[in-house]
Parts: sequence; structure tokens; C-alpha cells
Amino acid sequence: MEPSSDPVDDARQLTAPDAALRRLQVARQGPKQPVSGHKWRRRIAYVILITYAVLMFTPFAWSVVTSFKTLPDSLNLSFIPQPFTLDAWRYALTELDPNVVVLFMNSLVIASIVTLTNLALGSLAGYAFARLRFPGRELLFLVVLGTLMIPDQLRVVPVYILFNNFRLTVGLGQYVAVILLLAISATSIFLMRQYFLTIPKDLEDAAKVDGAGFFTTFARVMLPLASPALAAVAILQFQGAWNSFFWPVIFLKEQTHYTLPLGLTFFRLSGGFGTNWPPLMATVVIATIPILILYVFFQRYFVEGVAAAGVKG
Amino acid sequence: MQSSPASAQASASKPATRVGAAREAVAGYGFIAIPMAIFLVLQIGMLFYAAYISLWNWNIRSGPVDFVGLGNFQRLLTQPLFLTALKNTVYYAALWVPLTMAVGLFLAVVVNQKIRGQTFFRSAFYFPAIASSAAITVLWLFIVAPFGLFNEIRGALGLNPLFQLLGYGPHHDWIGDYRTALNTIVVLNVWTTSGTFMLFYLAALQAIPTDVYEAAAIDGASQWQVFRRITFPLLRPAHFFVATVGVIGALQLFDQSFIAGGPDGSPVNSLMTIVLYLYNALFTQINPGYAAAVGIVLFVLIFSATLIQRRLFGREPEW
Repeated sequence: MEPSSDPVDDARQLTAPDAALRRLQVARQGPKQPVSGHKWRRRIAYVILITYAVLMFTPFAWSVVTSFKTLPDSLNLSFIPQPFTLDAWRYALTELDPNVVVLFMNSLVIASIVTLTNLALGSLAGYAFARLRFPGRELLFLVVLGTLMIPDQLRVVPVYILFNNFRLTVGLGQYVAVILLLAISATSIFLMRQYFLTIPKDLEDAAKVDGAGFFTTFARVMLPLASPALAAVAILQFQGAWNSFFWPVIFLKEQTHYTLPLGLTFFRLSGGFGTNWPPLMATVVIATIPILILYVFFQRYFVEGVAAAGVKG
Repeated sequence: MQSSPASAQASASKPATRVGAAREAVAGYGFIAIPMAIFLVLQIGMLFYAAYISLWNWNIRSGPVDFVGLGNFQRLLTQPLFLTALKNTVYYAALWVPLTMAVGLFLAVVVNQKIRGQTFFRSAFYFPAIASSAAITVLWLFIVAPFGLFNEIRGALGLNPLFQLLGYGPHHDWIGDYRTALNTIVVLNVWTTSGTFMLFYLAALQAIPTDVYEAAAIDGASQWQVFRRITFPLLRPAHFFVATVGVIGALQLFDQSFIAGGPDGSPVNSLMTIVLYLYNALFTQINPGYAAAVGIVLFVLIFSATLIQRRLFGREPEW
């Protein structure tokens, strides 16, 4: 019985990291079927896969198409805008209140700061939990993982009361509140720790012989070696913060402080605008594009992030 | 003086002095200090603070007013709106979790076939999960609007008589009608989350050893028999994991309800969920003690759901 797929052909379209995964999968393939039955099954699989892939993409394509339409045309079942117009984009970028550019900047600032704090705090703590010996290390690491089991909704009332006492519910304090709540996630520490555990100790020991302190060893020797894990944490946290809804909707009460998700919700819920779909779709595109770009280039890290989220359960 | 077990252990792997071990410990605590402080105050501490607040009639500015014991919990169970929220949330979980698991498992099995472009399809199916809940919900509301893409396409495909039979006109307002609003959110979230569940199942599928399949092939089992009798039961730990993650997520339904129906879960509270109810208790009624009680009830619900599922799925495979 011949395996009916061509491994050379398969390998051609795979990137290097995926090729390794693929080899693993090939090694674990199920029983070999008679060629004819197998081909039939594959054909059905392709039809299902392609249909479903089209179903996945259609709504996004529809939002892009609609953003170039006029309002009356937005109700037509046509994938070509007639006439093609940039009015909705102009309206979205200049007329909407709160201004979409401001929303974008708010989202960008919060997501960038949260990404940086997770990288810095996550790599330091991940290194300590992986390599440094101190009493209570295992217990404290369990505490870190335990925080993943506490739902945000249980914390929201006490956190709000606490932050209200420190005046973090008014003015710019609202940003501080959201950033503090997203500043460090157990997932970041966990991902960094797991990666540091895989790095051989020799390099580190060499640095120690040279008399380097713990922080120097960490910053000069270990951190550069951990760049894949840093990339995974950065992408996971940036996406999480950019898309976050719960904490922003609790704390960001002034329209000028809104992020894109809050702005979109406001535009949707404030009456009158509810049916002016083209500018709303332009805003949807603006809110999705940064993550889409990250996804196109770093797809692997998103998938790994899901695997890490799997471990945390 | 005897050397402590800790330093003896340390010297076993590396010639460290007691001073060296102490310096290492200081560095370790220093490296984890900020995250641990944040976790202890904003996570662990809040757990106890929430329980404390829930026992009081609490003023958001001045703090505790009078001790009411379990009064907030008693009141909760007599509020029709809370029971509506509970009913909606449980209905959503009961419908959404199995549907998303079924679609996710189906996609994982299809993607796991020996096919070209496996990476592409995997990425494509995970794609809807990357966008923000706000963007994807607003986009969905446009698609299921009376004159939206969904109604137009079913008209073009000639499916309207079928929908008419079920009582839905050609321009049915799926999210505006209280009878269909929650189901519309179910479909939205099946669409966005099935890719994530697919990734979980895919990892589990690829961990099943080949020899299991080889034995089945020798016995002449059909593909369906292999799936039904071997693959599906072997995936039991994955089922447990996905179902648990799913139920926890489902009980916390909030974003889509809020974005589609606002704080009161319009139309006619058909999108009211437990978390939305909590939001209102805190920001509309401004009653923190009562809102904290809602949070505790949610936590207990999540915890018991996880335990029940462990009983259901936790057993080892039977052969």
C-alpha cells in the first residue's frame, strides 16, 4: 500500500518550523488506506475545508467591501461597491465622536505599555522560577498559576472599590487602573519559565565563572537566547490588550479615554448611528487590521499561545 | 553548626557557599517581587475582599454601612431579573458548548487528514478568533440585520420558504427579536470559537499513538468505526478539557451581550447574563455588596460545573 500524499510536495509549501511539526504528524499518521478509497475521502475533505475557509473569510471581506460603499448600496448583495467611495472612511476618521484616531491611539498606548510590562516582569519572574533557587519557590509558582482560576468577574467589585479609594476611577487614573490590571499575566511568566528551562546551563555557568551577577547573567546571556518566547509573549499580550473589553468597560468611563472596542460599542449603542453601516465597517476594519497584520506574519505564535492557554487549564 | 539541607542540596549541583545561596535567594525574590505583589493584592487579596464585601450593605464612597450576613444572597434568589440572567446563561452554555465542541472536533479531524495546505486551513479556521469581540460582534450585527448579508443570501439561495415555515420572514431582525437574539449570539460565538477548540483537539489527535490505529486496520475496521470506537473515546481527556474551558467561558458571557443589547441586555432582557447583571448591580443600582454576591455565585457556579465535568469525563478509558 502506497502512502498517497507526496512528502516532497507537502514540504515545499511549509515554513521551516511547521515542517518539523509536520514530520511529527506524518510519523503519527493513521492506517494506510487502499489508494482509491483514500483519494475519495481526501476529495470530500477538500470540499469541506475550502467551503468552511470561505465561510470564515466572507464576513471580513464583507466588512472591507461595505466600508467602500455608500449607505444605500450597503444593503445590496454585491461584492463590488457601486459607486466606489471613500466617504465612509473620511466620515469614520473625521466626523465620528469620539474620534477614531484618538481611539486608535488610546488602544495602541495601552496595548504597548501592557506588552512591555509583561515582557519585563514575565521574563524576570520566569527566569527566577526556572533557574534561581530560593525557599518557597514551588509554592509561589503554584500561587502564580492559581491566579488563572480566579475569574475577573469575581474581582471586579473589590478592585473597583480599592481603585476608587486611590482615585484611579477618574481622569487619567482610569488608564492606570486598566494597565495595572493587565500589567502582568501568569501566562507570561509560565511561557518564559518553560522556555528558560530548555536552555542549557553551560552558558550561564560560564558567565558566573566570569563573575557576572544574577541580573547581568539574566540580561546579557539568557534574555537574548529567549527571543522566541519573548516574541510569543509579546504577541499574545498585545493581542489580548488590544482586544480587551472587560476591564476597559469597567474603568474607562470618559469618551476621550475610550479604546477602539469601547468606541465601536458606543457607536453601535448610541441610536441613530445604528444603521449607518459603511463608516461602522470602516471602524471595524481599523480595529482589526493591526492584529490581522500580526497574524499574517506571526501565525505560529498565535497558535502556540493557544497551546499555552491549554496548559494553563 | 550543621549545614542546612537546602545548602547541602545547592552544593550538590554547584559549589555554592552559604553566602552565595543567600545572594541567589535575594536575587530570586527581587526578580519576582513586582508580579507577586500585584498577584497577592489584585488577585488573591481580592478573593477575600469580595467575600467580605458581599456580606455588607456597602456604600461605594464611605464603605460598609450595615452587616447583612447572607442577605444579599437571599435577595438575589428572589429577583426575577437575576433568574432571567441565570436562565439565559445556562441556556447559552447548554447550547454553545456542545455545538462548538462538535464543530471544533469535526474541523480537527478533517484538518488532521493527510492533505495539502494543512497549515493554511488551520490558520484560516482559527482566523475569526483573533479579532476583538467588539469588532466581530458589530460585524455580525451588520450581517444578521434585516437587510444584511445573511437574509439576502438565504433569499438568493431560495431558502426563504423553509425559513417561512419556521416563522421567520424574509427580513427577520435576528438580533432585534427577543426570541432569536440569544441564538444569534450562540451562532456568532460558535463561528469565532470553533477554531480555538479545533486547535485543542488537533493537539490531542496528534498525541494518539499510531499503533492503536494499526491494530484497528489489521482488524479491518472502517473509518467511521475507528473514529467512533477508538479516536472519540481516546479523546476523553481533550473532551474534558475543552468542555471545561467552554463552560467556564460560557458562564462568563458578557462582551457580545453588552455590545449587541447594551447594559440591560435588550431586547426585553433576552441577552441578560449573570455578568451583565453584576455590571448593572455595580453601576446602575450602585450596590457593591449585592454585586459582590453575584460574583461569588458565579464563582461557585463555575467551580461546581468544573467538578461535575470531572466526574463525567475524568474516568480512564475502559479497556
